[in-house]
Amino acid sequence: MEEIELHLTVNNLACTLMVQPCSTLLDVLREKLGLTGTKQACGEGDCGACVVVMDDQAVNSCLVLAAQAEGTKIITVEGLAMNGKLHPLQHYFAEKWAFQCGFCTPGMLMSCYALLLHNPNPNAEEIRQAIAGNLCRCGSYQGVVEAVLATTKMKHEVSHGGV
Amino acid sequence: MFHCNYLATESLEEMLTCLHEHSGEARVIAGGTDLIPQMRCGKLSPGLLLDPLRLQLNQATQSEQYIRLGASFTHSQVLSSALLQRELPVLVSACQQVGGPPVRNRGTLAGNLANASPAADAALPLLVYNAQLEVASQVGERLVPLNQFYTGPGQTCLAHDEFIHHIRVPRVSPNSKAVYLKLGKRQAMAIAVASVAVRLTFNDSNQVVQARIALGSVAPTPRRAYAAEALLQLRRPDLSLIRLAAQAAQQAANPISDLRASDDYRSKMVLVLTQRALEMLCKDRYPVYSNGRD
Amino acid sequence: MVGFSVIGKPVQANRSHEIVTGKARYCPDIHLPGMLVGKLLYPKFPCAKIIRLDVRAARALPGVISVLTASDIPGENSYLYAEPADQPLLVTDMVRYQGDALAAVAAESEETTQAALEAIQVEYEPLEGIYDVRQAMQPGAHQVWPDRPNICDHLVINHGDIEAGFKQAEVIVENTYTTPLIEHAFMETEGAVAYMDETGTMVVYSSCQAPHRDRLQIARSLGVPENQVRVITPHIGGAFGGKDEAHVQIHAALLAQASCRPVRLIRTREESILTHVKRHPIIIRYRSGASQDGKLTAVHAEAIGDTGPYLNAGRDVMNFVAATLSGPYYVPNARLEAYTVFTNNPICGAMRGFGIPQASFACEAHMDALARALDMDPLEIRMRNGLETGMQVPTGVTIREGRGMKICLQEAAQLAGWKDRKKINRQPAPHMRRGWGMASIWFSIGMGRNIPDHAAASLEVTRDGSVILHTGAADMGQGAHTTLAQLAAEALGVRFETVRVIGPDTHQTIDAGPSVASRQTFISGNAVLRAAKPIRETLLQSASEMTRLPSELLQLRDGIVLADGEALSLNVAQCAQNALQNNRLLHADGFYAMEYPEKLPPHNYPYAPSVFTYGTQVAQVLVDIETGQLTIEKLVAVQDPGRVINPGGARGQVEGGIIMGLGYAVMEELLVEQGITKNPNLGTYLIPTAKDVPELVIKLVEVPEPYAPYGAKGLGEPPLTPTAPAILNAVVDAIGIPLTQIPLTAERILGAIEAARPTDIQNSPKNLS
Repeated sequence: MEEIELHLTVNNLACTLMVQPCSTLLDVLREKLGLTGTKQACGEGDCGACVVVMDDQAVNSCLVLAAQAEGTKIITVEGLAMNGKLHPLQHYFAEKWAFQCGFCTPGMLMSCYALLLHNPNPNAEEIRQAIAGNLCRCGSYQGVVEAVLATTKMKHEVSHGGV
Repeated sequence: MFHCNYLATESLEEMLTCLHEHSGEARVIAGGTDLIPQMRCGKLSPGLLLDPLRLQLNQATQSEQYIRLGASFTHSQVLSSALLQRELPVLVSACQQVGGPPVRNRGTLAGNLANASPAADAALPLLVYNAQLEVASQVGERLVPLNQFYTGPGQTCLAHDEFIHHIRVPRVSPNSKAVYLKLGKRQAMAIAVASVAVRLTFNDSNQVVQARIALGSVAPTPRRAYAAEALLQLRRPDLSLIRLAAQAAQQAANPISDLRASDDYRSKMVLVLTQRALEMLCKDRYPVYSNGRD
Repeated sequence: MVGFSVIGKPVQANRSHEIVTGKARYCPDIHLPGMLVGKLLYPKFPCAKIIRLDVRAARALPGVISVLTASDIPGENSYLYAEPADQPLLVTDMVRYQGDALAAVAAESEETTQAALEAIQVEYEPLEGIYDVRQAMQPGAHQVWPDRPNICDHLVINHGDIEAGFKQAEVIVENTYTTPLIEHAFMETEGAVAYMDETGTMVVYSSCQAPHRDRLQIARSLGVPENQVRVITPHIGGAFGGKDEAHVQIHAALLAQASCRPVRLIRTREESILTHVKRHPIIIRYRSGASQDGKLTAVHAEAIGDTGPYLNAGRDVMNFVAATLSGPYYVPNARLEAYTVFTNNPICGAMRGFGIPQASFACEAHMDALARALDMDPLEIRMRNGLETGMQVPTGVTIREGRGMKICLQEAAQLAGWKDRKKINRQPAPHMRRGWGMASIWFSIGMGRNIPDHAAASLEVTRDGSVILHTGAADMGQGAHTTLAQLAAEALGVRFETVRVIGPDTHQTIDAGPSVASRQTFISGNAVLRAAKPIRETLLQSASEMTRLPSELLQLRDGIVLADGEALSLNVAQCAQNALQNNRLLHADGFYAMEYPEKLPPHNYPYAPSVFTYGTQVAQVLVDIETGQLTIEKLVAVQDPGRVINPGGARGQVEGGIIMGLGYAVMEELLVEQGITKNPNLGTYLIPTAKDVPELVIKLVEVPEPYAPYGAKGLGEPPLTPTAPAILNAVVDAIGIPLTQIPLTAERILGAIEAARPTDIQNSPKNLS
């Protein structure tokens, strides 16, 4: 199959790559761009380990064809920290033990990041709903919920002049 | 892995031309949530994938007569649409129960219908809302009522060169109430073991003037329970009529045994779910009616 | 002790920064120049003779670098978990289950490797096979092996006089309980990356639980000495026992050796579910007798485990079943039997709990059945029979520290409001029933007596006071490295942040044994403490010289020297510099082997464990009696890990265990027909999502265990164990109908409701067993 030229923005960097049109966005990120933070755990959209944020929405990157990502803006786990400083979600994931083996964590982080883009103050139920498509066999769901709640609380305090 | 060509067509014409020229070899890809796993395991191997994303069919609009949803309208868009929350609440309820957020963000209603799984969540509300599919081909346009769309498991009446560009639903009477009930094996990311959607439209004398009952995962295709619907016509349903209608719905089902459940269990669930759905919808209408349920 | 400075403090996980930034490298993330893609060829049939295996066409494909069959293996063609080593790496003439590998391929790309697999020609003669474990035990059944019976092991543990025990009994209850075949479903599938470095060493990055055992196996199969193999564990994406036995790492090394290039071999999810070891499905016939006051007089339980065609950990798992089948109770007379049976079903081996979840399921479901027969409260019967310190259990062992059993039981009952449960509405709607159930477990820590169970660790304090801990203990997410770092920091008197954990890397670390049996905290933990002791003494010696105070007056805490509790202006770094200046060593190795001071009689079950942790869970459930749908409203869990080293990590282990136990109870089941798994992906093998988790109330009690590091005995597996029986007991309470099988799917529950007489649904469960 002939390769096509793909243009997309990944973690705020414009990228132009030659790709097989029917490879997946996951392949592009991991193999072409070397961004191995996003994981493959099933390849079929059943587990959420491959979730990235595409045009402000959480998507399973194993179910997006490379060609379908043309012109899109992608954020992966590698794009969360700014200038070496952890995103609050990352900080609280670590503080609240929102992971054990860590394999589901990048996808989990991106689902939470996408949630906060649309709902800056979710409750526990909404958080669980947001991560319903992210399987964690280690069972750290409650830690994730607490990490997101801590993040929103902190952001609230910051924006309201507290802390 | 799989190999095929991909084209995001610039216009509806181009889509229809390509579908026609590559008849049988080309498939429309929308969110890919059903298509890509099937291609990965070799169940499907089209030579060409045609993507309608440039056709901007991602709006929900309303006119006096219809609500129209573009072919690329996703399950997530259904959830966040004030229009649909108001007009088609049971479609919203069903879409809420599809997969998880990443799947809903990509999966389209049209794609869900075209995939023709008997378990498709969105199909049942659309059936009870009397949805029609606006289908285009090089030859012209046609309207396919959703209840005539399915021809077998994974099969539809669409020709290879036809393309669903809109789903349309007639404006729903304010005297109409609907509910969607689904049984799954876990609380999210679960394909329905059995599901029903029921919609009842009442007149001023509290009689049912239109009953729609749709069954999911209990037959080769999503299907309506016509005999059950007929039993309710122009009646004020009481418990025993509801039971009769539920039994008729059970008769309309033709479930199989598979990984998720046995045919026997599914059949029983049609009865239970239909009965519950009808009771939920009738409860408020009949002050003396008591089903003993909260 | 004044109070710990590091132990029990909520420090963050070791290497958490890498995990949250996506920098953590797991096997699939490792990329080396010239790396090839490795894959294995799996069979078309679960039981077949191989008439012909022709790889020539595959070898000839451009881009294919190596294709290996059994005859290409220079050393041993077998996994070495079990004796006899009956499982081949690549089969020669017989396929015995769907996951047997026939050939290994390494090629330039994913595509080419796939094409090579398809180009391999195999001619099979499908054979009958045996797929029902009970049939497999019958004389005349199809034999999996020509030279070994299908019943490959039958262990009997006898204690007291079972006949007398049953004669004494005033009530006898017997039931048969069934548990399903279960998948680990770790998020990272099995994988390895192998390459030969410039020194001629085969380096293997292995997603594994036993790096040193991997090294042995790889060397053995490559036909090279162990010191020419180096196994390193990168980040591991979960294991739960499924990566204890070797999986693809030996094949990856063989391919790298044959190809003279790096090879990365990662199983797809489907391959993973089809091929790697599973949790044994076990059928347990449980018969127990008690006097009218509820005290057990006799237990006769017989467990049958379908282990698949190869020994692997089969016999060991079934041993654990037998050894724990009597439960955390005083049982004066017992006969505990375990059959390990060969079939052509998927191979079974280690999975979190190692047989104890199955044993506990039967034991605890049965305890409730006995309670019902006696019309006794489930809490009461457990209190009456619960183990205490000094009691003897059927394996002959005397309980060293047994307070945890009743403490956990009482605390759990208290937190769950057990005594007040009757006040809560049992029928919140006409079609809904609410119920409560409890389960108490005991869980053995360590491998058992007379089995090599040791670990080494090494500590070094550098000139600036930072610490390096070398450990061969694999951390697959259970938090072993964090725990060991905390223990080191506490023992040395330094801050947790100054300890860096290195390893496992078999070139740099010494064998710490596999990360199994919840043993690393106990055994590697003690090894770390033993390494810390001489170094601490050396630092104190320097501190003493520098302060001119006797070292008995001095303490080290958080990197500072204190005299009689008062901080001095002297820190550990300064002491370290002083020590090195004076030619004193700041490095030490520690070694610890599980101790069994209690000697048991020679005829006794030889592998009896002596360390136990206890736990109780209480479930509150709601059943829809028209659909069978089950909602778990609340789960209370009290666990006794001896000492909590890391609260965040401990919470994760408990919650994670409960969620895995919940999946076991209600939704997980591999469906196998004629040896073929019908649901080999995560869309059809269902594990709990975030929305499936009920309200959890968790409490950890600390009853320090003798010989354990700071009393901490382990937490990896136990919390998984009580969940399924607690839920089952709650469902039985809700619907008033006995149940004996998991998973409790809606269909099963409804089936039980319909099979019972209609009036039973309304009555409370009285005369049921």
